[in-house]
Amino acid sequence: MAFNVKNEVVVRVYVVLVGIMVVAAVILAQTFKISVLEGQKWRSKGEALYIKEVPMEAERGNILAEDGSMLATSMPFFDISFDPNSSAIDSTEWNRNLDSLAYCIATFVNPEFTPGGMRDFLLEQKRKGKRFVPIARNATLAEKQLIEKFPLFRLGRFKGGLIIEQKYRRERPFGLLANRTIGYVQGDTIKVGLEGYYDEVLKGEEGTQLMYKVGGGSWIPLENLSKIQPDPGKDLLTTIDVNLQDITENALAKAMMKHKAEYGVAILMEVKTGAIRAISNLGWTKKGQLWETYNYAIGAATEPGSTFKLASMLALLEDGYVDLQDSVDLEQGRTLYFDAELQDAYPHAYNNVTVKQAFEMSSNVGVSKLIQHFYGERNKADKYIARLKDFFLDRPTGIGILGEPEPYIKTPYSAEDGWSGTTLPWMSIGYELTITPLQLLSFYNAVANDGVYVKPFLAEEVQRYGETIRRFPVKQVKGRIAGKEAIRKAQQLLEGVVESPWGTAHKLRSGWYRFAGKTGTAQVGYQRLENKTRIKGYQASFAGYFPAEDPVYSCIVLLSKPREGGFYGGQVALPVFREIADKAMVTKEGLYPVVNAETESRLPSSALPTNDAGWNEDLKRVMRELKMPYHYLSKGQWGVLKASPPDSLKLISRTVKDNLVPNVVGMGLRDAIFLLENSGLKVRINGQVGKVREQSVRPGTRARGQTVYIRLG
Amino acid sequence: MTVRDRGIDWMTFSLYLALVAIGWAMIYTVGYKSGYPDNFLDFLETSAGKQLIWVGISMAGFFITWSLDAVFWRNFANIIYTASLVLLVLVLIFGKTIKGATSWFDFGGGVTFQPSEFAKFGTALALSSYLGNYSRGLKSLKHRLYAIAFFLAPLLLILLQPDTGSSLVFLGFFIVLYREGFPGWVFVAGFLLGAILVAGLVNPPLVVVTIIALAGLAVYFRNMPNRHRWWTLALIALCIAAFYGFKLGYGRYTSIGAGVALLGFFLYHWAGKQRDMAVLVFLSFIIGSSVAFFANFAFNNVFAPHQQERILVWLKPNEADPQGAAYNLNHSKMAIGSGGLVGKGYLKGNLTQGNFVPEQITDFIFCAIGEEQGFLGVMVVITLYILLLGRILIIGERQRSDFARLYAYGVASILFVHFFVNIGMTMGLVPTIGIPLPFLSKGGSSLLIFTVMIAVLLKMDARRI
Repeated sequence: MAFNVKNEVVVRVYVVLVGIMVVAAVILAQTFKISVLEGQKWRSKGEALYIKEVPMEAERGNILAEDGSMLATSMPFFDISFDPNSSAIDSTEWNRNLDSLAYCIATFVNPEFTPGGMRDFLLEQKRKGKRFVPIARNATLAEKQLIEKFPLFRLGRFKGGLIIEQKYRRERPFGLLANRTIGYVQGDTIKVGLEGYYDEVLKGEEGTQLMYKVGGGSWIPLENLSKIQPDPGKDLLTTIDVNLQDITENALAKAMMKHKAEYGVAILMEVKTGAIRAISNLGWTKKGQLWETYNYAIGAATEPGSTFKLASMLALLEDGYVDLQDSVDLEQGRTLYFDAELQDAYPHAYNNVTVKQAFEMSSNVGVSKLIQHFYGERNKADKYIARLKDFFLDRPTGIGILGEPEPYIKTPYSAEDGWSGTTLPWMSIGYELTITPLQLLSFYNAVANDGVYVKPFLAEEVQRYGETIRRFPVKQVKGRIAGKEAIRKAQQLLEGVVESPWGTAHKLRSGWYRFAGKTGTAQVGYQRLENKTRIKGYQASFAGYFPAEDPVYSCIVLLSKPREGGFYGGQVALPVFREIADKAMVTKEGLYPVVNAETESRLPSSALPTNDAGWNEDLKRVMRELKMPYHYLSKGQWGVLKASPPDSLKLISRTVKDNLVPNVVGMGLRDAIFLLENSGLKVRINGQVGKVREQSVRPGTRARGQTVYIRLG
Repeated sequence: MTVRDRGIDWMTFSLYLALVAIGWAMIYTVGYKSGYPDNFLDFLETSAGKQLIWVGISMAGFFITWSLDAVFWRNFANIIYTASLVLLVLVLIFGKTIKGATSWFDFGGGVTFQPSEFAKFGTALALSSYLGNYSRGLKSLKHRLYAIAFFLAPLLLILLQPDTGSSLVFLGFFIVLYREGFPGWVFVAGFLLGAILVAGLVNPPLVVVTIIALAGLAVYFRNMPNRHRWWTLALIALCIAAFYGFKLGYGRYTSIGAGVALLGFFLYHWAGKQRDMAVLVFLSFIIGSSVAFFANFAFNNVFAPHQQERILVWLKPNEADPQGAAYNLNHSKMAIGSGGLVGKGYLKGNLTQGNFVPEQITDFIFCAIGEEQGFLGVMVVITLYILLLGRILIIGERQRSDFARLYAYGVASILFVHFFVNIGMTMGLVPTIGIPLPFLSKGGSSLLIFTVMIAVLLKMDARRI
């Protein structure tokens, strides 16, 4: 059938029109498919772009000293912002509250604004459609609670547009104290010290929060959608005694300054339980300041030198080969093993002395000759090594810190270990083997503990809100290391080092208590050449315990490569030991019976808590618990208790103002640090326990980031 | 010719104004979350502000155009066309290169001009002028080729920039040719070859060839006497067999089988009386196969990697990297899809405001409608376009002069190609080709030229030259 021209044109016009309609239909169909049929899929994909789940940090648990004082704690901080275009903000609420809100922000948070200026600013932000107007960064808990009460804001996240994000900062109230042992955690990989080892306990469970993206690339939390609350970490109660730790650290620091040693270690361990009461590692920063740079006490295995002679003597005694009064020829301080000469530290003219004297003099010749004599015969070295294993000297202590190496003890006659004819005599005086200070100390501790080996430990228990959740087994007895008789003799040897006139520690014996121990002066980085030994440095050490009669603490002090003021263990390490022991004897009750102990006075007014300051709610709760009546007169958030004779108790305000140094006297450490640091001040603490007795900067002074020293007592 | 002025066609003008207003509202919402300054002068610096200026300029352009005599455009058609070609040459030399295409004249101070937009207008005028002449039309092959050359010239020049999107628009003039009586089989053949080309791009050529062979057989049997119709059944069975043959990995055997079958039938009928039909089917098969092989070869060896990716995203969206090549399309679909049936509401589109969709205010402005106004809003906008296109065609058909009718068709064709390609692109119906959505997308040259084109059309309609 043929078209005429007019018909054909009509057909063509319709084809064009239909074509356009078809295309439009296809487009509509595709839109329908995407936005209605597949809508859910694309919507959720789209939401993923501007709504995301972010982990919410849990408050990290505290690390506590043995008495409960805080070695490391987490301080909460808040970023507070305002969403003036939150869809739930009611316009009448907005109009009614705007002026007072602006006044509050300008007065309490941002004094750079006048209330009118703040009002204009807020209006402008709302008009511009802003969803994220920062109000305060790094706000403290108190500031956050204040801001939450502002007009409008008090209506909450949606109706009030208030956005609060919480963060935490790790604080160490005692600064350097046991720094390295407390350690730190960075990310998921760097885990140091107790923080690292007990990270699982401390870190808690992360929560999740839904955040959504608003203009300018900011993400703001969406609180009404499901989120998992983070589970705060648990507290770790350690064995560290803040007092003893302070003593130990100070004593070691003094010696480090005096002798300019490369590094120093001091550990104080409770004899009966194995609890580490103090552990200090001092090295130098690049700027030449003393700092806990590395946990040498636990991580650095070195050749111990003479302190190891105790193990050799104990082996001989346990095997019954020698008695203390047996005689040994010192050959005037020089002897030859095959082609190698062994010398005593000092040249002397002794020949025949008792075994005890040889030990007390720390004679290399004497001890090595005895060992070589009794264990030097073919296949008998095994027995000596077996004894060392009995003394637990061949394995790590298993203390809860990462990076403890195993002691290195050569396998007898093993070519692989380079066992030679001279190995045994040198081993007997603490060479050709390596061991960490803590491992050696736990051996000395076992001797002090009448032969019972207890495992050293740092973590006492896991707590939550002050309640024990899990106790780590204390006093992990691993067994006796030797018979009673041998131990008694070993103790006599150690006491002799101090008491005997020729003992290497005799010069520093104390008149009012007795201690026992052994000096060590090991050569570090030595090279044995053909006829002499080249020495690069010394390691001065002293290991022992006090009081000698009924040992309470064992202690090891080690200074590596002292450069000034001598290098012998008796000269360098022993004074540190003495200072620690002296001060520990003074401070620790029970070590030293109090002569004129009086009963406590019971006068009513002094029994009332006075001058105790703190967070009002805390004080109120304590008073309630104690069922003590008081007059509540405080207006602010902080208060102080005042007792007025004879028996009335008042809780009055303690004023805390922005930009002024607060008065923290009478507060607990946590409150004090909280207030001071929130005022932008740096805090240094003296003293270990109790409440703040003094503060170095007068309250009310303008806070300009000064350092405030506070004394606890 | 009449001198009576019939006045403006208010319907077209209203549709035009509605689309411009919707476009500006959408550009405003996209920038909403980033905030707008209070100061009006500062506001004019933002995208929405600049577009507002361009809306003003376009309105001025509209009235200036309106004030000119309609005959002016016919008389100056060839001069305007020549000028636009000159500009297209000059832009290649002096133009500013943005994102790899030398398409802009930069006059400094943020004022740029895209001559390819101007060329659309010029070509519409010149083509109308050429075909509107009584002595020419599309009667001879020579005139047909000349007509094609009118829009092929700017197409090629723009391809040199290179701006594939804008050059593709000129293919829209084929619609004008169709209306004027260009043979229909050319369009059918062109459409088929285009389909084969597209199929050949990403499918193994043998698959395409087999399908062509089967289609050829189908045509063949369609023209056989009725007694052979039962072969159709066999053919369907063969198609199914071929489909599974390829799917199960017996591609080679399937192809050989189909080839042998084709050859067998061809020889059988060659010996019979349907020689012409046999030859036609066979030739079609050869041409179709060559195109398929050529397309595949071109895809793998000639296309640039980013072009290959775009085509893959279009034809095989599931195989594309969602963060790479398919990023634009996926984000565009997320925006449209999250609007649902009724949309999230004006100024509430998180995705379009959050800068998640690239080229949001230019090429992907359609997503903003999809997200904030939903399917219903999209339907309204598409209806507005269809009404506008239909109205332009009606205006065209009621003109007295061939020139004015042809020009109306030219305007409708260009608008239609833009409309289809831009919206189709945001939903993956066509490959990602960067051309603006007329009246809605941000872009001064585009809005001004489309305005002038509409104004000229309305003026011609008012005067009925």
